[in-house]
Amino acid sequence: MRAELHLARRYLIGLGRRTNVATVTLISLVGLGLGVVALVVTLALLEGFQSSIRRDLIERSSHAQVRPVSGRVLAEPDQLASLLHQALPYVEIVRSVRGNCLVASTIDAVPALLVGRSDVDSVMADQVLAARLGIGAAGVVDVISPRRRLTPLGPVPVRVRVDVAEVGVPGPGAEGGVLRVPLEVAQRIVWGSAEVETLDLKDPSAPWQLGAKVRRTLDGRDDVVVLGMDELNQALLLALALERILIFVAVGLILVVAALNLLCNVAMVAAEKRRDLAVLTSLGLEPVRIRRLFLLLGLGIGAAGAFGGAAVGVATAWILDATGALPLPRGVFVVSSVPFSVDPMMVAKVVGLALILSAVASWLPSRVVARREPAAGLRYE
Amino acid sequence: MSENNVMVRLEGISKAYGEGEARIQVLKGLDLKVGKGEMLAIVGPSGVGKSTLLHLVGLLDRTDEGLVELDGQDTGTLGGSERARLRNRMLGFVFQHHHLLDELDARDNVALPMRIAGKPASEARRTAEALLDTVGLSSRMTHFPDQLSGGEQQRVAVARALVMRPRLLLADEPTGNLDRAASEGVFRLIRDLHAEENLTSVIVTHNETMAEQCDRIFRLAPAGERSGYVGVS
Ligand SMILES: Nc1ncnc2c1ncn2[C@@H]1O[C@H](COP(=O)(O)OP(=O)(O)OP(=O)(O)O)[C@@H](O)[C@H]1O
Ligand SMILES: [Mg+2]
Repeated sequence: MRAELHLARRYLIGLGRRTNVATVTLISLVGLGLGVVALVVTLALLEGFQSSIRRDLIERSSHAQVRPVSGRVLAEPDQLASLLHQALPYVEIVRSVRGNCLVASTIDAVPALLVGRSDVDSVMADQVLAARLGIGAAGVVDVISPRRRLTPLGPVPVRVRVDVAEVGVPGPGAEGGVLRVPLEVAQRIVWGSAEVETLDLKDPSAPWQLGAKVRRTLDGRDDVVVLGMDELNQALLLALALERILIFVAVGLILVVAALNLLCNVAMVAAEKRRDLAVLTSLGLEPVRIRRLFLLLGLGIGAAGAFGGAAVGVATAWILDATGALPLPRGVFVVSSVPFSVDPMMVAKVVGLALILSAVASWLPSRVVARREPAAGLRYE
Repeated sequence: MSENNVMVRLEGISKAYGEGEARIQVLKGLDLKVGKGEMLAIVGPSGVGKSTLLHLVGLLDRTDEGLVELDGQDTGTLGGSERARLRNRMLGFVFQHHHLLDELDARDNVALPMRIAGKPASEARRTAEALLDTVGLSSRMTHFPDQLSGGEQQRVAVARALVMRPRLLLADEPTGNLDRAASEGVFRLIRDLHAEENLTSVIVTHNETMAEQCDRIFRLAPAGERSGYVGVS
């Protein structure tokens, strides 16, 4: 093993003496390095965006939800709430009601999703709804329920006038068209009585674990179901995971191309060194060690490219993030400049992939080399 | 020659290159014995198969037919790795072109067989330095092959062939590329070391005067013209 290492090192160091191979080797090395840089920066960018989306999700949506198993309303919401409060005192509990309604302003009537929550006391319309209704920053609207009540004039829809105090951004993953109102208002519109449909729970200290904790607390109750972060945001989280995989594969192809280039380089060295290999064989280097020598050569180039590329990539991502060099238009996204987040695991995976590809790229020509009988190579000059 | 005095025994060796129309039968039914301590010269016209024969003896190529025995051991059944180990420990090669590794200096080139054998770097270096001193190159230890003259390169190659203290030295026109003075120097070196190290040597040469200084001359004739091969001592 030491002889192969010694030789591989001498070959790589000695490359300066043979410029044509050195140039090609340098190109392979730079190609592999650039591939790693591209992959690290892209994945850091992706992780930056995705973690800001996840942060936003944690900030703005529930971390767990308790729903009735059948029907739309909880049978004993207060008893459930106090049970949960006793077991998990630090968890914020909100009673809520949802329903479809028609929202009418002076200029238009628009279908909307009505969300009533016990933790709000003013009315908020999201930007999309506000724009359709033409109410600007605030205004008075009528909320018309599908529920009817009987009047001397016959059945008429329930109609409640509310004061929109605020216009907000739709939550992550949500489409526009949401009117958020205090719980009592929503109860009046949707049910006509003090029903509660879900308990929305939040625990900012451990949002992803809350679902399981609540499930444990309510273990044995078969009238309710508990949904955690994963179930509540299934579609969004799946989309994020899919995005990560697809980008890794797509950008990872750069590395495959770089590895093919490395393969050509190693094959070229093998051709150039044909006589040397025959000489080494004649001196007693076994075929399997010849193969190892080539593996070491390719891995040497691969490792230099991978670690160099990773260092450059991490530095680039870090600088771009710290300086906010790529600004984003205000208000479109939750952050003001393009976020980069370097995950050490991700960098390790990229470097590992580059090393594996280099090993494969040098293993293929090494097999061919080790099979040759040395006599033919010795006639070479 | 009694049986256990034989270093190399070839019996019924045949070797052909190519397929079909392009097939060339180089060696056919060749027998040869080289005694221990003997210095044998192989001569013959160009293309007759001298290098081929040497490669077969040196386990660098495989025969089509026939037996290659080195110091009583049949080599036909050995695998690639065993052949490699045998070359490393028992055989030393000197070629017409020096075949030194360009990336290594003279000392590292000489030390290479020891490194391949797994000897520590320091020991390999010390041995290489001593041997380079023996071949008269103590002032050229850290020169790279392209910084050495042809004669010096060939001396380094001789040192490398002997660094593992082999029992059989195989040389293929070791002076073929040198001028007269350098040729004589290298040949004298080989002859002296042959005696000092108790070697058995097989030397392919075109140089009749050199051949005549060996213990015995083996003349190789084209396979098509004759059925046998003549060994003249
Ligand atoms: N790999 C090969 N494929 C086909 N033919 C070959 C191959 N190697 C050698 N030969 C042929 O075998 C014959 C013998 O070659 P060899 O090198 O042994 O000759 P030689 O006696 O050493 O000649 P020289 O004195 O010129 O070195 C030549 O005719 C050569 O063309
Ligand atoms: Mg020859």
